[in-house]
Amino acid sequence: MPEPFLSIQHVRKSFGATTVVQDFNLDVEAGEFISFLGPSGCGKTTVLRMVAGFEEPSGGRIVIGGKDVTGLKPNQRNIGMVFQAYALFPNLTVAQNIGFGLKVAGVARAEIDSRVAEMLDIIKLPASEFGARYPYQLSGGQQQRIALARALAPRPKVLLLDEPLSALDAKVRVSLREEIRSIQKKLGITTIFVTHDQEEALSISDRIVVMYGGKAEQVGTAFEIYNRPATRFVAGFVGTLNVLEGRLGNAGKVQVGSGEIVLREEPADVRSGDIVSLALRPEAIALGRRAGDDAVLAGEIADVHFLGSVIRVRVRAGDSIVSLDTFNNPATPPPRIGDKVEISFSSGDVMLLN
Amino acid sequence: MKINRFWSWLFFGVGALYFVLPLISTAEFSLKMRRGAYTPDAYWTVLADPRFQQTFTYSVLMALATIAFGVLLVVPTAYWVRLKLPRWRPVLEFITLLPLIIPPIVIVFGYIRLYNTSSWLPLTGSAMGTNLLLMFGYVILSLPYMYRAVDTGLRAIDVATLTEAAQSLGAGWVTILTRVILPNVAVAVLSGAFITFAIVIGEFVMAALLNRPSFGPYMQLLGANRAYEPAALAVIAFAITWGCMALIQFVSKFAPRAPGAQH
Amino acid sequence: MSLAWLGVMPFLLFALLFLVLPTMQIIVGSFRNAAGEFTLDNIVNLFQPSIMAAYWISIRISVASALLGCLVGFLMAWAMVLGGLPGWLRSPLLTFSGVASNFAGIPLAFAFLATFGRLGLVTLILRDWFGINIYAMGFNILSFGGLTLTYLFFQIPLTILIMTPALDGMRREWREAASILGASPFQYWRMVALPILWPSLLGTFALLFANAFGAVATAYALTGSSLSIVPILLFAQIRGDVLQDPHLGYALAFGMIVITGIANFIYIWLRARSERWVK
Repeated sequence: MPEPFLSIQHVRKSFGATTVVQDFNLDVEAGEFISFLGPSGCGKTTVLRMVAGFEEPSGGRIVIGGKDVTGLKPNQRNIGMVFQAYALFPNLTVAQNIGFGLKVAGVARAEIDSRVAEMLDIIKLPASEFGARYPYQLSGGQQQRIALARALAPRPKVLLLDEPLSALDAKVRVSLREEIRSIQKKLGITTIFVTHDQEEALSISDRIVVMYGGKAEQVGTAFEIYNRPATRFVAGFVGTLNVLEGRLGNAGKVQVGSGEIVLREEPADVRSGDIVSLALRPEAIALGRRAGDDAVLAGEIADVHFLGSVIRVRVRAGDSIVSLDTFNNPATPPPRIGDKVEISFSSGDVMLLN
Repeated sequence: MKINRFWSWLFFGVGALYFVLPLISTAEFSLKMRRGAYTPDAYWTVLADPRFQQTFTYSVLMALATIAFGVLLVVPTAYWVRLKLPRWRPVLEFITLLPLIIPPIVIVFGYIRLYNTSSWLPLTGSAMGTNLLLMFGYVILSLPYMYRAVDTGLRAIDVATLTEAAQSLGAGWVTILTRVILPNVAVAVLSGAFITFAIVIGEFVMAALLNRPSFGPYMQLLGANRAYEPAALAVIAFAITWGCMALIQFVSKFAPRAPGAQH
Repeated sequence: MSLAWLGVMPFLLFALLFLVLPTMQIIVGSFRNAAGEFTLDNIVNLFQPSIMAAYWISIRISVASALLGCLVGFLMAWAMVLGGLPGWLRSPLLTFSGVASNFAGIPLAFAFLATFGRLGLVTLILRDWFGINIYAMGFNILSFGGLTLTYLFFQIPLTILIMTPALDGMRREWREAASILGASPFQYWRMVALPILWPSLLGTFALLFANAFGAVATAYALTGSSLSIVPILLFAQIRGDVLQDPHLGYALAFGMIVITGIANFIYIWLRARSERWVK
């Protein structure tokens, strides 16, 4: 493993008696795109603000490029940051906003101008049209792109994005996040992206830190987080999850309602007779008996949602409600509520929650 | 951040000292009428003075009349402009700001010349006419506050929808104004009313130049001739102003909130 | 043709009769002689030394009390909104500002006489406890300094009331964005915060200036006729005490309108220049 570029070591933060971040550790490689994902109040923004220098850690240290920055003021850290919304200076034009960081650093006028033009080019807003505008004359998406350009103009070592898309409408959100990712890849800048939107985090990150209650619950790639959630919280927070309650019998057999599931691995720390929770992604479950599936449960259709290309069906099996997705097929009408059905899945897809 | 807080407390402390010292001094001075002891004698002297009672009553009545006329003038106008003539708003705002720019002494000077006994409208020819003219002057002085308060109050409610709803139920204009609009801006009207009251009760220059027996000229007269009673009067006047502002704060708690205005 | 404009006629008529026409009367009158003929004599007569001196001291008091009022009021509002003072201070300070900004006129003069007058509490305390005799040092409540000090009692709170919402509108993100882009606090104030607050500050100054320039009651109760400021001169003229020529009174009043008008014109002009970035 190469030397980490940004290293957050044993960082803690308390406000009075409440602890918002506890013993947070993370090593980020140069050029990596990391997302902090979690519900509001999980401490993700606080960690970001400590990296930026707006909050002072109660303990631990932060190292950027081999240099301990823990005690430095924000204006000494050479970090770029994009805020949630409307953080452009309203009294300055687009060009003045982008050039702000260079101007306060005392960069020559001509150099500022060429750098501003370069940044406007990168975010694909023509300088001739946008350079002289004021922020109020721009749409939300344009403002956030300018904010990105402003953050990147002084060539920072690290880019911090604090929910930069949350104030935008859905379509702009998707296109801008892809643009952010492609600019980040092009410039190769180490980036931390804070979001509460799992789809955002899953789609653009190299790695994701799922946070809850001031702690990192799991650090991993989108694939790992989604398919092998380390904790019950991660399993529940990322993606939709079906949870089946059952009683553990002998040899890894679990009795769920009228059916029975045989676990691939016998759980270590539970004894037979205990109630266990099994988790399944909707896309792992099939309506009817699917060839190769070794687990089958009987149930009744409780609910049908037509979502377009996908139909989400909710089936009552024993005491549990199970959601599953089937593709829309114009030739076959969707099931109706009250139909008696069977559902099947592979016991290899079952996650045991503890 | 710590340095910041030090400066904050410093500014605040110096400011607070400047504001508190005159209040303490005045209160202290007002209690010194009897040599060698703190007594409320100055207050009793003032309150027992028949001229105090007459002028104070006159000013209270004047304030109430000003409020009544001001409300009748401002509420329908502000409502109508919001509903039908939004493009006139800048004009109205400009007019209502003028009394802050043109000194009251200039306005009342104009009254004296324009409405004197030999003019087309000889308001100053009789006591009642002069009272009326003074009341109009006070309405003008309170216009910036009254209009702004009512206009802000109207912004918080959806004037057009309320009006259409009332019309669809068969209400006429008078009913709409008195039964629908006025109750909804009552808090704003009250705020404007209390400020008006505070302004009118102690007003000096208009009353003095129109020669009306109001509280302001009485205070001035007392100040020129007495030592301790003026301080007592200042304390009373401060208490009245404080009462008006406290009432504004109190009634604003019942104000309807503008949609989207959380702060 | 819609008749909706009829609805504002009562109001406009009232404003015309009791605000616009009286003011016009003064303006027109200052260009007329006793026979009703056009003349510039009244205006020319303003340029006699005693009247010029009165204007000059009025302007000085108004500028000084407006500047100091803006400065101190702004610093106090800043301390309250952004300076990290505890939140419970806010509501009492704003209420107090509402009271103090309306506590003008005669009672204010009484209060300051009881404080900084020859027998005022602060004067006595300074003399007896600290051995500082402010009157021996040249201070007089019936003077430029004394009147300015008194006017600040309503000028400062007025500034606090106007600047608090403006300071509330200063977003934390602006300061943080400036800081992370490498700006020092001073650079942030010079390049972002002050330009944003500038129009509000200008407006406050213009209002404070007019406020002090037209104030009669406080000065009259404080100084009688001993301090010759323009409003007091005009007051005495209207009462018929001094100045033989009645039309000079028109000119005096006209001069007041011109000066507050100029102050507000400068304000509107500067505001338009500094607010290009506002919708």
